[in-house]
Amino acid sequence: MKNRILICLSILCFLVLASGGCVGGQQKPVGFSGVTAYDGILYLGSTDGKVMAVNPSARDQNLEFPSSSDGEWSYAITMLSKGISCGSSSVSVSIYGIPVMVNGLLCVGTYNGKALMMSPSARSQNSDFPQARSGEWAYPRTDDVIAPIVGSPVAIGDTIYICSSDGRVYALDATYGDERWKSEPLGGKLWITPVVEQETVYVSTFDGHIYALSTEDGSLLPWAFEAAAGFVSSPALYDDTIFVGSFDRNLYAVRIGDNEPLWTFPGGNWFWAAPVVKDGVVYAGCLDGKVYALNSKTGNKLWEFNAGSPIVSSPALTDESLVVACDSGDVYIVNIKTGIGARVKNPDDSQNVDRPTIDAHIQGSLCILDGIVYIRAQDNCLYAVDVGKVKRGWKFPLTIK
Amino acid sequence: MAELWSLIILNPVLNGLIALSGLLPREVQFGLAIIILTIVVRLILTPLTLRQLRSTKAMQDMQPKMQELQKKYARNKQKLQQETMKVYKEAGVNPIGCMWPMLVQFPVWIALYQSIMKALATTPENLLDLSRHLYSWQIISQALPLNSHFLWLDLGQPDSFFILAILVGGSMWVQQKMSTAPSTDPRQQSTSSTMQIMMPFMFGLFCLMFPSGLALYWLVSNIITIATQYFITGGWGYLKSPFPMQSGSRRMS
Repeated sequence: MKNRILICLSILCFLVLASGGCVGGQQKPVGFSGVTAYDGILYLGSTDGKVMAVNPSARDQNLEFPSSSDGEWSYAITMLSKGISCGSSSVSVSIYGIPVMVNGLLCVGTYNGKALMMSPSARSQNSDFPQARSGEWAYPRTDDVIAPIVGSPVAIGDTIYICSSDGRVYALDATYGDERWKSEPLGGKLWITPVVEQETVYVSTFDGHIYALSTEDGSLLPWAFEAAAGFVSSPALYDDTIFVGSFDRNLYAVRIGDNEPLWTFPGGNWFWAAPVVKDGVVYAGCLDGKVYALNSKTGNKLWEFNAGSPIVSSPALTDESLVVACDSGDVYIVNIKTGIGARVKNPDDSQNVDRPTIDAHIQGSLCILDGIVYIRAQDNCLYAVDVGKVKRGWKFPLTIK
Repeated sequence: MAELWSLIILNPVLNGLIALSGLLPREVQFGLAIIILTIVVRLILTPLTLRQLRSTKAMQDMQPKMQELQKKYARNKQKLQQETMKVYKEAGVNPIGCMWPMLVQFPVWIALYQSIMKALATTPENLLDLSRHLYSWQIISQALPLNSHFLWLDLGQPDSFFILAILVGGSMWVQQKMSTAPSTDPRQQSTSSTMQIMMPFMFGLFCLMFPSGLALYWLVSNIITIATQYFITGGWGYLKSPFPMQSGSRRMS
C-alpha cells in the first residue's frame, strides 16, 4: 500500500514538473508586445500568441470582432512544442516587439525565432500562412528558427533589420524575406530594437558595447563604445547622440564617435524602457518608478515625476503631454513643461477604493492615435485612454477564439 | 509574507550569488559561483547536518530493539508507545531530533534554488523580475547579465548531452544507498528499495527539463552529502556492506 502511494506521489510530482518542462522548466515567456497604428488600424501581438488588427472605431461601436469590413483580423502564430511531455502538439508563441508596417505588410518578430511578414488582406481571409502571392514570408523559410527575437523590427527602404538573442543583427529583404546579411555575434543576447540612420545600424549590447554596423554588409564600423556595465534598454538616437540605459542604473548619453560618455544620469534602478527624445529633452522611464526629463546636451534634470511603480514601457509623447504607464497598471498624463501629472482614474472605482487605471500590469509600448493612447496590458486586453479628457475609455479583450 | 521571505532570505542569497559571480572569471563565472555558494552554504549548515546525521544514525541503531518491542506489544498499542518512549529516553534520542535540522535547512535550499532560477533570467520577464531583487552594489551591476556558459553547459537550458542527468541520478542513488539501512521487515525493505530507484530516476528526469544550473547545484549538493556521510558515519555505509550497522555504530560512538 505504502509503495503504491509513493509511486502515485512520484508520478504526480513528475507530471506537475513535466508540465513546466514544456518551456524548459523556466517561467513561461508571456510576451509584452506594444501597439502600433497604421491607416487608422491598430496592430499588436496578444499574450496568447496572436497578431491582431483592431479598428478603434469598430471598438467604439462595440461591433463583433473581427469586423472584417473595418479591416480587423486575428492570426494565431503557433509552433511545434519540443518539451518532453508535450509530444508534437503546437503551442502559441510569445511576441515582445512592436509589429512594423512595411509597404502595406506587417512585420513581426517572435520569441520562437521567426521573422514574419503578414499581409492584412490574406490574414483577414484567414488563409494559410505564408501566402507568397500576397507578399507574405517567414524567415527562416523552413522549420528552422533563429534565437528568440525580443526587440522590434526596423524597416528602412526595402530592408528589415532585426536583432536576435544569438547576438546577431539580421538584415532581410522586405519583399521576399531573403537574408541580405547577418552580423557576427556581438556579445550576449540582443533583446533590443536597433537604431538605423545614415547607412549605419546602432546596437547596444548586454556586454556593455555600442556597435555601429554598415547597412551594406553588416560589417563592424571602426567606432564602438565600451562601458563598465552592460546595456539593458534599446538605444534611442537624437542629434548624433545615443541614449541608452545600463545595468549600472545609469542612463548614458554617448556622442557617436566618442569614447567617453557625454553624460550619465543615475536612476534608482535600471532604465529598462528606451528613452524618448524630443526638442532637446530626454524623457526616460525608470524601474525605480520615476520618469526623468533631462537636457539632452548636459544631462541636467529638468523635472522628475514619481509614478510609484516600475516603468517598463516607453512613455508616449503628444504635443503637450507625456503618457506614462507603470507596471502596477496606473496611467498618468504628465505635462512636459512642468512635470506635473494627473492619474487616469479607473471607471470602475468606487468612492472609497482607488484602483489602478488598469487592473493589470502594463509592460508593452504605448501607441497614440488621434489623441487616444492605446495600451495592451498583461491581462490580454486592449485599453483606450483619452489623453485630453484624462479618462479611460473602452476595454477590449483580445482572448477571442 | 512573500516580501518578508525575499527581504530576509531570498535577496541576500541571490545578491550573494551574483556578487560572487562578479568576482570570478567571466568564462566560468556562474557555474563556479553555484559550486562555491553550494559548498559555502553546506559548510555553514554543517553543525545542523551533523546533528541530523547523528540522530538518524542513532534511530537506525535502535531499529532492532524497536522491532522486538513491536513484536512483544503487538496487541497493546499504549504499552508499545510507553516502552518506545522509554527506549528513546534511555538512549538520549529525540524521535523528532533528526527532523528539525532538516526543517531549518529547508528555507536555505529553497532560497538557493530560487536564486539560481532568478539569476539565470532566461526570459525578459525573468530579467525584469530580477531587477526587483537586486542591491545597488557596483559589483552586481557589472556582473550582469551573467554568462550562463560553463564547461559544455548552457546553465539556462537543460543539458542536451544527458551527462548531468546521469551524474545527478547516480550520485543520488549512491547517497541514498549509503544512508538507508536494510530492513528485516519485507514491506519496509520493499518501500525503501522503490524509493532508492524512484528518487534518482525522478531527479535524473528533472535534469532533462530544468536549467542545467539547477542540476549542477543538485550534483554538487549530492557530492557534498556523500562526502559528509563518508567522513561522519565512517566509510561507504550501507553501499558496500548490506549490514554494517554494528561497525558503523562503533565508529559513531
